[in-house]
Amino acid sequence: MDQNGLALKMEDITKRFPGVLANDRITLECKKGEVLGLLGENGAGKTTLMNILYGLHQPDSGRICIDGKEVQIASPSKAIQYGIGMVHQHFKLVDTLTVLENIILGIPSKKPLLDLVPARERMLNICKEYELFVDPDTEVWRLPVGQQQWVEIIKALYRNAKILVLDEPTSVLTPSESDQLFRAIRRLTSEGRSVIFISHKLREVMEITDRVTIIRDGKLIGTIPTKEATQAKLAQMMVGRPVSIVRKPRPAFSEKKPILVMKDVNVNDDRGLPALKNFNLTVHAGEIVGVAGVDGNGQRELAECIVGLRKPTSGTISVQNQQVTDVIADPSFIGFIPEDRQKTGLVLDFSVFENLIIKDYSRQPFVKKGILKYPVIKKHARSMIGKYNIKTPSEDVKARNLSGGNQQKVIIARELDAEPVLDIASQPTRGLDMGAVSNVHDILLNERNRGAAVLFISAELQEVMALSDRIIVLFRGEIMGDLNGETADVSTIGQMMLGQTPEVEV
Amino acid sequence: MSYDMLISWIQATLRWSAPLILVSIGEVFSERSGIINMGIEGIMLSGALCGIAISFFTGSVLLSVLITMLLGVIMGIIVAFLTVSRRTNQVVTGLMINMLAMGGTNLLFALLSESRHTRVTTMPPLFPESWHGIPLIGPILTQQPVSTWIALILPFLAGIVLYKTNWGLNVRAIGDHPQAAATAGISVIKIKYQTVIISGIFAALGGCVLTLGEVGYFASGGMTAGRGFIVLAAVVVGGWDPVRTALACLVFGAADAAQLRFQAMDSVVPYQFLQMLPYLATVIALTIMVKYSRVPKTWGAAYDQRDI
Amino acid sequence: MKTIKESKFIRVPFIGELFLGGARPILGIVLGLLAGGVLIAISGVNPLTAYWAMMQGAFGNLQSFTNVLVRSSPLLLGGIGVALGIKAGVWNTGVEGYMYLGAIGAAVVGIPALSLPPVVHIILTLIVGMVFGAIWGLIPGYLRAYRGVNEVTATIMLNYVAMYLTNWLVSEPQPLAEFGSFYPMSKLLQESAQLPILMRGTSLHPGAFIGIVICLLFHFVLFYTPFGFRTRMLGANPNAARYSGVNTNKQIVLIMMSGAMLGGLAGAIEVTGLKLRVYMDFVSGVGYESVAVALLAGGNPLGVIAATFFLAFLKVGGTTMSIQTGIGAPMTDVIIALCVLFVIGVGVSERRRLENVHDVDKTETTDASDIKGGEENVV
Repeated sequence: MDQNGLALKMEDITKRFPGVLANDRITLECKKGEVLGLLGENGAGKTTLMNILYGLHQPDSGRICIDGKEVQIASPSKAIQYGIGMVHQHFKLVDTLTVLENIILGIPSKKPLLDLVPARERMLNICKEYELFVDPDTEVWRLPVGQQQWVEIIKALYRNAKILVLDEPTSVLTPSESDQLFRAIRRLTSEGRSVIFISHKLREVMEITDRVTIIRDGKLIGTIPTKEATQAKLAQMMVGRPVSIVRKPRPAFSEKKPILVMKDVNVNDDRGLPALKNFNLTVHAGEIVGVAGVDGNGQRELAECIVGLRKPTSGTISVQNQQVTDVIADPSFIGFIPEDRQKTGLVLDFSVFENLIIKDYSRQPFVKKGILKYPVIKKHARSMIGKYNIKTPSEDVKARNLSGGNQQKVIIARELDAEPVLDIASQPTRGLDMGAVSNVHDILLNERNRGAAVLFISAELQEVMALSDRIIVLFRGEIMGDLNGETADVSTIGQMMLGQTPEVEV
Repeated sequence: MSYDMLISWIQATLRWSAPLILVSIGEVFSERSGIINMGIEGIMLSGALCGIAISFFTGSVLLSVLITMLLGVIMGIIVAFLTVSRRTNQVVTGLMINMLAMGGTNLLFALLSESRHTRVTTMPPLFPESWHGIPLIGPILTQQPVSTWIALILPFLAGIVLYKTNWGLNVRAIGDHPQAAATAGISVIKIKYQTVIISGIFAALGGCVLTLGEVGYFASGGMTAGRGFIVLAAVVVGGWDPVRTALACLVFGAADAAQLRFQAMDSVVPYQFLQMLPYLATVIALTIMVKYSRVPKTWGAAYDQRDI
Repeated sequence: MKTIKESKFIRVPFIGELFLGGARPILGIVLGLLAGGVLIAISGVNPLTAYWAMMQGAFGNLQSFTNVLVRSSPLLLGGIGVALGIKAGVWNTGVEGYMYLGAIGAAVVGIPALSLPPVVHIILTLIVGMVFGAIWGLIPGYLRAYRGVNEVTATIMLNYVAMYLTNWLVSEPQPLAEFGSFYPMSKLLQESAQLPILMRGTSLHPGAFIGIVICLLFHFVLFYTPFGFRTRMLGANPNAARYSGVNTNKQIVLIMMSGAMLGGLAGAIEVTGLKLRVYMDFVSGVGYESVAVALLAGGNPLGVIAATFFLAFLKVGGTTMSIQTGIGAPMTDVIIALCVLFVIGVGVSERRRLENVHDVDKTETTDASDIKGGEENVV
């Protein structure tokens, strides 16, 4: 193998965590000036591998060579020294500091005092060169998410990154911002820098990468030139079986009984800025309404105000003709699968059986004469565990110790088992592996088929299109369009996600 | 109120505020990096005794200050080890340090106080006696110990360090998003240790100024009387900014001084109610100012290196 | 408790955990005692002699054991109040203040000659003491729940206020005060308002037993009632608690007031059982000791019983140790603080992840609207 053309070689990397073999003798090679796609499901091991590259973890065995020379990457500062730059999926920016302060953060300096003048000049030069413009003096929290992404990239370029790792970079970008990113990537590679592009969006991987490395279950499956790949083939290598996202057939309901009715709702976010503006929506029984849109356009506030966790400043929300003014913890009424399951959906320090009754604990049969009846509670838990296939040694295990998919199952069991009239699923498949994702999809479809009204909020456009009877597109708190799920096409939706209202043929 | 009373009130305010301000400087840095050092009450108490004791034995104020600072370092290291390395709950740690200091100082004081009524060297004033004649501020300038002037200037220096140095930038970053700082190559643990030790040094120093600054004695059981907790409130009221926090300390010091003035005035209000004044003022100030203060995002949370 | 019969001992909620989790606190206590021993040695006394004197002072004879029980009374009640708060995620450090207010309440009803039968009079004083205490807890509770004010600072400030208030009330010329005394104190409580002495020749009043019963009661409440479930949920995850319909603000106020009520009871019992008058500054740190007890117990009601007796043994034994060996009395406080520090230093799992499952895929969202999220923005 010609070592000269290799910017990076990670050889036989193995990393074990308690209970999990995250990386099993993985070898990864990246040539100079190439865009290498790194493909794998959630939990396949790609983030661990990159964290090792960035010095956040140490491999149990294996070695790393940069430009042909073996190196030890003991910490992020060492990684930076070797020219590795990483843009994490969850941004590592300090919101309260300005862009410029974030960019220079951590750069060793001989002078004690901050010297922003040369830094500013250098940053602006980088902006100009890659056409990624950000205002250096704005505090990061004020920036839209796409611009925060640019800051992360500029941060890496400021440190002369020769190998840039992008972890799911387009998950928060609109289609046009993604194009901007790709242009910047091409410019980078034309200079001889390398880019490792981690994604599970097959279409983009096909578009931007030169070669693709696929990892599954901690093992290297293979590396193929992108030219020779197809989406189907990549998906198969990633998952190990043929995969397709198709719409499942479903019974039509003749009678459309409105369940959720939102009229002229205005809701503010945590900062006091409007998150939903004059929002009108009706969801009927036996229908899945998918809410498409880039994360951060009001989805979370939408879910929270329907459930009663957030009060609208004006407008009305009613479920089955009952006005929602506060949280109604009645399991047969609304089932809510929250997007941050560990924060709102579960009590991690409680056991599985306790988590299953956090809405029911004061009701019969779990309580008799004011006393909790543990035998009844635990029996209920055991039956839920069996019915929803929750993998846990027992009902006494703390929720904290379950995997993401099983935690989600606990939430689903609790929220949906009593057959509520309205389901709200907010990013329900985030962080789950493909088997768990497919399971959730089936559950939501079953809910719809039994007659529940389902509001399905997701940033993954493909699953929204696969599951929804109707699709609404959310942009900056407003509905850009209400489309038929069977006939809607990606480009129309994509434009709406950007805030444009194209001519729609329904 | 007469002119003399006003001057006397200002004098007392400065005297009572100076220890608070000193303690607050260190605590601002610590809390900005995300660690609440609730043990400053105890460290302050220890510093108070230490300062008096060293001055008693050596007659040197300078030596007292230096050794007190050393004590602050040691206690700061203990707090840092527990809250940063062992990730203990910061409230519990602080309260126990206070208990330890209370018991320890009572013990040591009992041992030391065999010889009472001996003159202890207190802190000298800064400005020369001859300035006494200057109208209005003359008496103030000449009668305040040097520690007061240091306490008034330091907050501004602290502000420069916090906002205009690389280290200060790191501290602010760590308090709001330690993972971001860590991935940028900053040693979060090291800096947290540094800020906590600094809070220890200044807390001890504040205690030393309390006893050596003017008072010249140590009374067991109630020397600091909750002042450490008043400083904790001042940091919040001041929005974690050194200068604004110092202002809050001045306000609380003024309340403290006022109650003594009123007592002297032989007023209708029973003196116990006046004694309550600083504490009530603190609660009220906190209640009002909470809305306006931006908390460092990881305030009070333990930082786990594995959380990347 | 019925459940013990039905399942294995370990399965009873939290007794099992106490058992299994008991190893670490014990290690911490041992280390604390060792460190204390070192300090004792430095002061020139043989640590073994000192600790032996301590044991004798606490266990030596029945009389000394009754002293331990008397000493435990306020710690049990104050401790369980703080423990309740810990379980709910609030730091109710205002026990000093609640005890003063409870004492005032007891004095207000206990000093005047009301010609009531003793049982009624005693119950009345205790109830009024609890009410006064509860009111004092309403203030920081409200401030914390509805205004976001840090309850540690608020309660500690109010402790001082309560102390000065009491001092004023027991100083001439206030109606409750004893005239012509060398030290500010209240008048003597009516005999009908005084708690009975259970054993002649000792000062043993029912306080400790009341305390133990209340600890057991709260263990039951915490783990077997909806109120307790709500409380624990609030402490473990306030967001999920809110989602499940808990009125978190109201719950916080209730918890603070409950703890305050118990602190008031503690103060009332001290006055009606032991001191028989309200003296100026009489609480002098016992409130903070009960905070230490609750911390040692990790908020666990049964642990409060264990921790209280540990502390009471040390305190009572410490007096004897001090008399016999000449070590200053505050040494006991130093040893107690060292024990707690070592217990927390040795390490509790706190809220961080256990090593069991490594969550490779984190699922937290960090979009732009997540600015004020994260830890409780409570000041």
